[in-house]
Amino acid sequence: MSSPEKSALSSHVLDEIKELPAKYPQPRSAVMPALDLAQEEIGHLTPEAMSEVAEALQLDPGYVEGVATFYSLFHLEPIGKHRFYVCTNLSCMLRGANEIVDHLKQKIDVSSAEQVSSDGLFSLEEVECLGACEFAPMLRLDHRYHYDLTLEKVDALIDERRSSSTAQASPPTSPRGGEVKRRKKADG
Amino acid sequence: MAELRGSSGDTPHHILTRWFGTPDLHTLDVYESKAGGYKALRKALLDMAPAEITGEVKTSGLRGRGGAGFATGIKWGFINRDAPGPKYVVVNADESEPGTAKDRYILENSPHMVVEGILIAAYAVGANQAWVYIRGEYDEPYRMLTEAIEQARAKGYIGPKPFGKDYPLDIRLYRGHGAYICGEETALLESLEGKRAQPRSRPPFPAVKGAWGRPTLLNNVETLATVPAILNMGGAAYAKLGTDKSPGTRLLTVSGNVRKPGVYEVEFGKTFRHVIFELAGGPPEGRKVKVFWPGGSSAPVLPESMLDVTTDAEALAAARSMAGSGGVIVMDDTHCIVKAAHRLLRFYAYESCGKCTPCRIGQDWAVRTYERILANEGSQIELDTLQRVSDGLQNGRCLCGLGDSGGWVIDSTLRHFREEYEDHALRHECNVGKVPANA
Repeated sequence: MSSPEKSALSSHVLDEIKELPAKYPQPRSAVMPALDLAQEEIGHLTPEAMSEVAEALQLDPGYVEGVATFYSLFHLEPIGKHRFYVCTNLSCMLRGANEIVDHLKQKIDVSSAEQVSSDGLFSLEEVECLGACEFAPMLRLDHRYHYDLTLEKVDALIDERRSSSTAQASPPTSPRGGEVKRRKKADG
Repeated sequence: MAELRGSSGDTPHHILTRWFGTPDLHTLDVYESKAGGYKALRKALLDMAPAEITGEVKTSGLRGRGGAGFATGIKWGFINRDAPGPKYVVVNADESEPGTAKDRYILENSPHMVVEGILIAAYAVGANQAWVYIRGEYDEPYRMLTEAIEQARAKGYIGPKPFGKDYPLDIRLYRGHGAYICGEETALLESLEGKRAQPRSRPPFPAVKGAWGRPTLLNNVETLATVPAILNMGGAAYAKLGTDKSPGTRLLTVSGNVRKPGVYEVEFGKTFRHVIFELAGGPPEGRKVKVFWPGGSSAPVLPESMLDVTTDAEALAAARSMAGSGGVIVMDDTHCIVKAAHRLLRFYAYESCGKCTPCRIGQDWAVRTYERILANEGSQIELDTLQRVSDGLQNGRCLCGLGDSGGWVIDSTLRHFREEYEDHALRHECNVGKVPANA
C-alpha cells in the first residue's frame, strides 16, 4: 500500500467512496458512483486512481478497470477542462453536425478525441445520440446541453470560456481545487 | 422549465402532454393543483386492490413505449406479488435510441408524472423500492427528477406511509455512464449491479430474477408516465383511443429534415404523412422526403412512397418495419442513403458490447465494407458482403436486439434504395442532390 501522501485520491474522497457500498442492495453497485468521485477529483481515471477505488471497495483492480473501460463517460486519458461532446448521429448529421465538428476542431486546434488544446482548456469528442433531436444540431458541454448550433454559437461558447479563464488567476494546482470548480459549473 | 418544442395543450388526443406548458408544472404544487396530480396514486393506494390496478392497465391495452412494445399490464402480472423478500421496480430512463428524445421531454417538463407512475407500479407489483436508471448525459432530467422526488418525499408521498397507507415506497436514482446497450433491460440490470453492461441470457426473465437476483419490473419512462392518466380516465376509456391493437397515444420525436422538429403526442393510427407534414411542417422548401425511420434508427426504413403507413405497431409490421421507440427521423432528397447507413452502422459497431460474436464481428465488418464502397473501391462483392453480413446479424443470433438492428439498417436501405447502392459500389458515383460525386 502506498503512503497517504502519495495516493492519487485524497483521503476525503476515499472516505466518501468507502461509504458508498452500504447504499446499495449489493456493494458492487458502488463501483460506478465511486469512479465518478475519482474522476471528478482528478479529471480522468489514472491506473493509480482505479487501484485505490478497487482497494476502497475491496474489489479486484482489473475488475474496476474493466468497468471503467466499458463506459464512454469514464476517461482514462487527460481531457480538457471543458470537453465538447458533439452529437454526430443521424438526426444531428442531417442538420450540419459534421460542419460543427470540423469548425470546433479548427478553433481549438485538435484533430482527435485524445487531444487536448494547447492551453489545456478544451477537448472534443464526437458522440452518439444525446436524446435532444428536436434541437439538432446540439452538443453537451460543462453538464449542459446547447441547442440549435451554428458556427457563431460555437465560437461564443469557446470565447466565453477563454475569457473567463484569462480573467481568473492561474488555475489552482491542487486537484481538490479543480474539483470544486467543476462542481460549481455543474450546478450553475 | 424546459423549452417545449412539440405537443402541449388540452385537446382530446393529448393524454400525456395535456398540461405541458403550464408554468411550473415541474413543481409538486402546480402538478397537484393544476394538473390533478397524485389523484391516481391516492386512488390506487386507498381505493384499489393491487390486482385491480394491474387489471386496469391490462384493460387499457397499454404497450411498452421503450421499443419492444410488450403489453404493460401482462408484464406487471408476471411479478408474483406474494413472493417473500424484496422486489424492485426499475425504470429505464437510459433513453439513447438515435432519434428519440421523448423521455427527456417528459422528465424535463413533468417529472412528477413519472414519479406518480413509478409509485403506482411499485404498489401494484408488490415492490417497496424503485430504481431509476437514468442516462449519465441527462444532467437536466436528473436534476428535475431529483427535485421532484425530494418534493414528493417532503409531502410524504414517498416514505413509510404514503396517503396514510401502511405501504412504504421509495425511489432512488442510478446514473448511467454512456452505453447504448443499457437500454436493453438485462444489460441495464448488469450495469445497475456495477458490472460491464452485457445482456443476460433469458430465462430467467427479470420478473423472476432481475435486479440483484430479485423479481423486478422493468418499464420505460413514457410507459409509467401514462399510468396515472389511465387510472384517472379508466382503462376502457384509454383503450378507445388509437387502434384496436395499439390503443392510446404515444410521443413521437420527429427530427432530421423537417421544418418543425419536435416531440409530438399522436394517437395511434395516424399516418406518417400527417406526422411529418401536418405536425412537423414537412421538409425544407424545395426538398422532398426521401426516406424516414419510423421508430428510431433500429426500425427498418420506409421510403417516401410509404408515407401513408400508420403509426400503429400492426401497420408498421405489415410494412416490414416497427414502431420501436417512436423516433421518426426524416431524411430529404439532398442526402445519400449509403452515407446515412454507414453512419448508423458506425453507431452499432461502436455500441456493440462484444458479448455475441455475430454482432461484435458483423457490425464492424459492415462498417469496413461501407468504407470501401464510399472510397469508391466497391464492387458486386461488397454489395453481396453487405447482404450476407446483414443476414448474419439478424434472426435471433444474438442475446439482444442490437445485432438485429444493424442488420435491419443494411437490409432495409438495400431493399428500398438498391440503385443508390449500385451507383456507389458499381459505378463509383453518388447521384444524390447536393452531394458531389466521388465525395
